[in-house]
Amino acid sequence: MSTAKIKLDKELLSKVKKYADLAGYSSVEEFITHALEKEIAKLEESASEEEIKKKLQGLGYIS
Amino acid sequence: MRAKGFSFLKSKRGLWLIGGLFILLVALVGLWSCQGGKGSLSKRVLVIGFDGMDPKILTRLIEEGKVPSFEKLSKTGDFLPLSSSIPPQSPVAWANFITGMNPGGHGIFDFIHREPESYFPFLSTSRTEPPKRTLKLGGWVLPISGGKVELLRRGRAFWQVLEDYKIPATIFRVPSNFPPAESKQRTISGMGTPDVLGTYGTFSFYTERPQELRGDITGGAVYPVEVKENVVKAQLVGPKNTFKKDNPTAVVDFTVYLDPENRVAKIVVQDEEVILKQGEWSRWVRVKFPMLPLLASLRGICRFYLKETAPVFKLYVTPINLDPADPAMPISTPRGYSKELYRHLGSYYTQGMPEDTKALDQGVLDDGEFLQQTEIVLEERMRMFHYELERFRSGLLFFYFSTLDQGTHMFWRLMDPNHPSYDPQLAAKYGNVVEKLYQKMDEALGVALRYVDENTTLIVMSDHGFAPFYRGFQLNTWLKENGYVALIDEWRQGETEFFMNTDWNRTRAYALGFNGLYINQAGREVYGIVSPGPEKEALLEELVEKLTRIRDPQRGIQVISHIYRSDEVYQGEAMKYAPDLIIGYNWGYRASNETALGMFPRQLFSDNTDKWSGDHCMDYVLIPGIILSNKKMKYRQPALFDLAPTILTEFGIPLPKEMVGRSIF
Repeated sequence: MSTAKIKLDKELLSKVKKYADLAGYSSVEEFITHALEKEIAKLEESASEEEIKKKLQGLGYIS
Repeated sequence: MRAKGFSFLKSKRGLWLIGGLFILLVALVGLWSCQGGKGSLSKRVLVIGFDGMDPKILTRLIEEGKVPSFEKLSKTGDFLPLSSSIPPQSPVAWANFITGMNPGGHGIFDFIHREPESYFPFLSTSRTEPPKRTLKLGGWVLPISGGKVELLRRGRAFWQVLEDYKIPATIFRVPSNFPPAESKQRTISGMGTPDVLGTYGTFSFYTERPQELRGDITGGAVYPVEVKENVVKAQLVGPKNTFKKDNPTAVVDFTVYLDPENRVAKIVVQDEEVILKQGEWSRWVRVKFPMLPLLASLRGICRFYLKETAPVFKLYVTPINLDPADPAMPISTPRGYSKELYRHLGSYYTQGMPEDTKALDQGVLDDGEFLQQTEIVLEERMRMFHYELERFRSGLLFFYFSTLDQGTHMFWRLMDPNHPSYDPQLAAKYGNVVEKLYQKMDEALGVALRYVDENTTLIVMSDHGFAPFYRGFQLNTWLKENGYVALIDEWRQGETEFFMNTDWNRTRAYALGFNGLYINQAGREVYGIVSPGPEKEALLEELVEKLTRIRDPQRGIQVISHIYRSDEVYQGEAMKYAPDLIIGYNWGYRASNETALGMFPRQLFSDNTDKWSGDHCMDYVLIPGIILSNKKMKYRQPALFDLAPTILTEFGIPLPKEMVGRSIF
């Protein structure tokens, strides 16, 4: 797996460390990865515009 | 006499006699209440929802003596138009009914909302979340924490309030309630309930000649098949198998054995077998999509319709509905209620709006076939209606019929020679379909009237009426032509959906959904440029003034009869997704399909040549619903959001402060 470094400001990093620990993540990386995956899933969910179109077609209101 | 009575009570023989009389009385009450619930000792409120019933059509049919039960109820009780929601779209209207609030309170403003932080559209009524954590094992992906489906409607449903006061309620398929709101009451979800694919209904059509159908098929899938030695092999297509890596589609094989000479076919699916004549509908067939070997499968039900055996093999299959005996998603409260109905009445349509308007619109089913399918749905509903009425002892029963709404959407074109889809030949055969459907609803009301006694309040209501949908108006195109929207690439106009080509830094207003218009407001929209305050106020006034002046050059008619400001017509705490303006289209006009999806086609108007020919996403004052009751209504201008308060008041329950309606009695 290829990896890349990202920069976080100190204040945010300390918060990330604190909450990663509190939430039971085994590492800061795991917490950040999960948070990003969740956010991307949310955007992908919203972006499933084709799905919205299909549902309106399914109801009959658009053809 | 008093002394004698006293001594009678004191004697042992007297006590035995009283005890015996008491037992006899209890037995008589029990016997009485067992007689089909026709007599009741407790307060009962029966609400029947006829989606889309229109007061103008109903009044005409009453005057012509064609709907005797409605006539009787209107004469012995009361009948008024019922003001719909702003806008009068089904999810909005039913949310008004359910909560006693308007959209400002329940937060449903349109079929589609948008996230102001991203302009991303989303469906307003429910949201599905995939599993948060998964485990990958070779080719399998196992969910560790389950996904969920969430109802986005805010506010409490009236049956939840009834529950606080120990009033039992049964809520049968009310729209805007999927997944069903948490409750111990018996509820089963209606409009908004998906099929196993997660869509609002995707039919399948197996044919040797797919080219006979017009271009893009929406709302269904067409599968080309071959007939080899009178045998057809095909697959029912299920959802994506999220348990497997790369999420392949789950399928179930089926085989059709044809006897073309006698126009008969045998269909074999897993361990089920049905034999159909050409033109015949099958019973419900249960299918199981294997997802995880030995561990997980998804159950569904479908019906087959053998359209043609020869010369061209054609087979229609309904959307694969969630199996009510084992639904993969929550469709009822308690969860066992859907199974209970199955145990007593057999399988039934669970998808939100089961009448297959898409198959009719796409030419997969013809008018007659669509009506047969509508009849199957109605027969199922009537069996359930009888079942619920028979055991209705006390509290509230709400029962919903979708028949009229779907029928009027599809058959307006054949009762109105002004409609672009009017066909005189078809009209001769099907021009009275809507009227016939009203008569079917009259029969349903006739059944209900037999169960109404002096302890029962009967309310018959609809969420909106109907108007023709002659012409679509491209509101986004108008905004672009009048300088309120800027595109990034002018030459790509009309090509993209959901504002993909929009230059937000130069866009002041945009339209999404069927009635919503939004200002691109600074501080709210992510790339908003219009400042709240005087600049926004001036823009709103200018838009209202210009939009209400638009006339259709072809018909010379005003296109928009009224525009409502959301800050004037809504009250409540759920305004985050409210449009700034609600467009009230005039009789015959509606937002075009493209405007609803955030598109900018080049022409401003388009004739509606679809079979979906009646609609109600217009100015709410033009298309009120109906309300009838066996009680006189004191309040003579009732609205949908008055019904939840009315129901609570009938049981003597104080109204929650967030309700904006009042009792009509």
